[in-house]
Amino acid sequence: MSGKRSIVIVGGGASGVILALHLLKSPLPDLRVTIVEKRQSFGRGLAYSTQLRDHLLNVRAEGMSADADDPEHFRRWLAKRGLGGPNETPYYAPRRIYGDYLEELITALEKAEPVRLRLVRSEALSVTPTANGVEVLLANGASLVAHAAVLAVGHDERPAPPQRFALRMASEEDTPVDPSVRVLILGTGLSMVDAWLNLEARGHRGAVIAVSRRGLLPWPHRPGRPIRLDSADIPLGTELSYFVDWFRSLVRETKRSGGDWRDVVDGLRPFNQRIWQSWPASAKRRFLNHTKAWWDIHRHRMAPDVHVRVTEALRAGRLTVLAARVVNVRQYEGGLEIEVQHRQSRTIEVLRVARVYDCTGIVKNVEDGSIGIVRSSIERGLARADSLKLGLDVTPECAVIDRDGAVSDKLFAIGPLTRGTFFEIDAIPDIRVQCKALAQRLAAEAR
Amino acid sequence: MLTRKGKYGLKALVHLAHLPTGQLAFVGDIAHANNIPKKFLDAILVELRNAGFLQSRKGKEGGYRLARPPEEIMVGHVVRVLDGPLAPFPCASRTRYQPCDDCDEARCQVRHMMLDVRQAIADVLDERSLAEMRDCASELEEPLHQQA
Repeated sequence: MSGKRSIVIVGGGASGVILALHLLKSPLPDLRVTIVEKRQSFGRGLAYSTQLRDHLLNVRAEGMSADADDPEHFRRWLAKRGLGGPNETPYYAPRRIYGDYLEELITALEKAEPVRLRLVRSEALSVTPTANGVEVLLANGASLVAHAAVLAVGHDERPAPPQRFALRMASEEDTPVDPSVRVLILGTGLSMVDAWLNLEARGHRGAVIAVSRRGLLPWPHRPGRPIRLDSADIPLGTELSYFVDWFRSLVRETKRSGGDWRDVVDGLRPFNQRIWQSWPASAKRRFLNHTKAWWDIHRHRMAPDVHVRVTEALRAGRLTVLAARVVNVRQYEGGLEIEVQHRQSRTIEVLRVARVYDCTGIVKNVEDGSIGIVRSSIERGLARADSLKLGLDVTPECAVIDRDGAVSDKLFAIGPLTRGTFFEIDAIPDIRVQCKALAQRLAAEAR
Repeated sequence: MLTRKGKYGLKALVHLAHLPTGQLAFVGDIAHANNIPKKFLDAILVELRNAGFLQSRKGKEGGYRLARPPEEIMVGHVVRVLDGPLAPFPCASRTRYQPCDDCDEARCQVRHMMLDVRQAIADVLDERSLAEMRDCASELEEPLHQQA
């Protein structure tokens, strides 16, 4: 084969676009990168399609550069537009602005590199390995032939099967509702906060009830100084209880010297993937069942302004958070009757609501997910679920592992789909590092 | 710094890694075969069990065995549990760090270098599994562990 190297990226949301940006840093003249995206715009995906001003990034501007080698890139882009304020203050940009940023980067690159980069607006239905690479079948009937394909399809867009009575905020099924009715939100994390902000922006006046098993709300961000750690300081490969004890005592010590738990959580961040990967399967399972909900509210925090609004709404009773479990769902003429069992009292309460939104976050089993190309890859044995079924089984190098355990050299996956291996891989600071490493590998193989 | 405790713990784990999967060993036998004081070894094995590297069973048929295949247990992970953060010097640790009374740690060149040294130690120990450690030892002394 000549020096030609062609790569199809399935999914043109944040992770797909960031991968393309890193790939095209390579000087190889014969590199061909095609991104396939079913939406009209590139770079937005699910996360950055929102047009709501109140939907802010949960990471400061410094963490959001699309370029892993140039952390100030987004900050400078903002400054050119008079956004972001002085450098010292943390700035949580609206998510649509971040979508603008990625879209502008990728469309500018398409203009500058019409030969090496191609943006295709269609849905990729399936991927099939061939003798020399892969063939990606598109919904418009065309098919793309390339040396390698990268699945960058992001989060599921539909609720998991047990929650099909609920719908996703701002999806097609989310038709206008009477603003005075009562609505229920499943989940009490950051997605719930986003959904609530959406309702507020629509002028919703009725009660909003948010329910999750533990009823835990995310904590707010606060400026701090993350502690410095090296991997040599961190217990790896232990059972969960041992790690949690270590974590708690480190928080106590940090508080004693004037710090905050956030300093420990944020100081650990560069090692989270490594810690996850070092754990035995039993520790991972225990973490998901017992500790994750608690970890998430400390780790995935609210922007300070949003926290003020949520606190005010809770005080005023416009938003209620319940620690309870949905035990039964019935239709009635005005909507749905949801039976919940309270966590503490074990009592059953029946909530009549006009609509239920699903904000429970991740799909519990990737095999039940709603993304066609992922399901078809699993069904045909090209890919398999990881042992916890959080996503596809991939190597730390992002190579997809097939039904028989063979590591592919032409099918890869990035972003939330690789959660089983990378665990924290929903946010840009982690995704851009993953994209940089994969881009280096894919471009190196071209030589 | 690898203390006596860390060394004994690793020896006991290598001993267990020689046994067929699932087979239990008595503390007394491990102690005797590796020349480790039994009382000390008792305490070490409890710590390793609490950290999830060992499983134990009480009673006449009781004893210890590895909780996971030796290929999945990394030497560096074990040493951190027994000896704390990997550190060649007391001051070269970030969490368990003990300042020296005779220098300013922020500008101490020795400490800076030692932080690099310990990263190198971690990189080696975290890539080395118990199985690899067992197998390189058997290359040295082939007949020694045949009784397992």
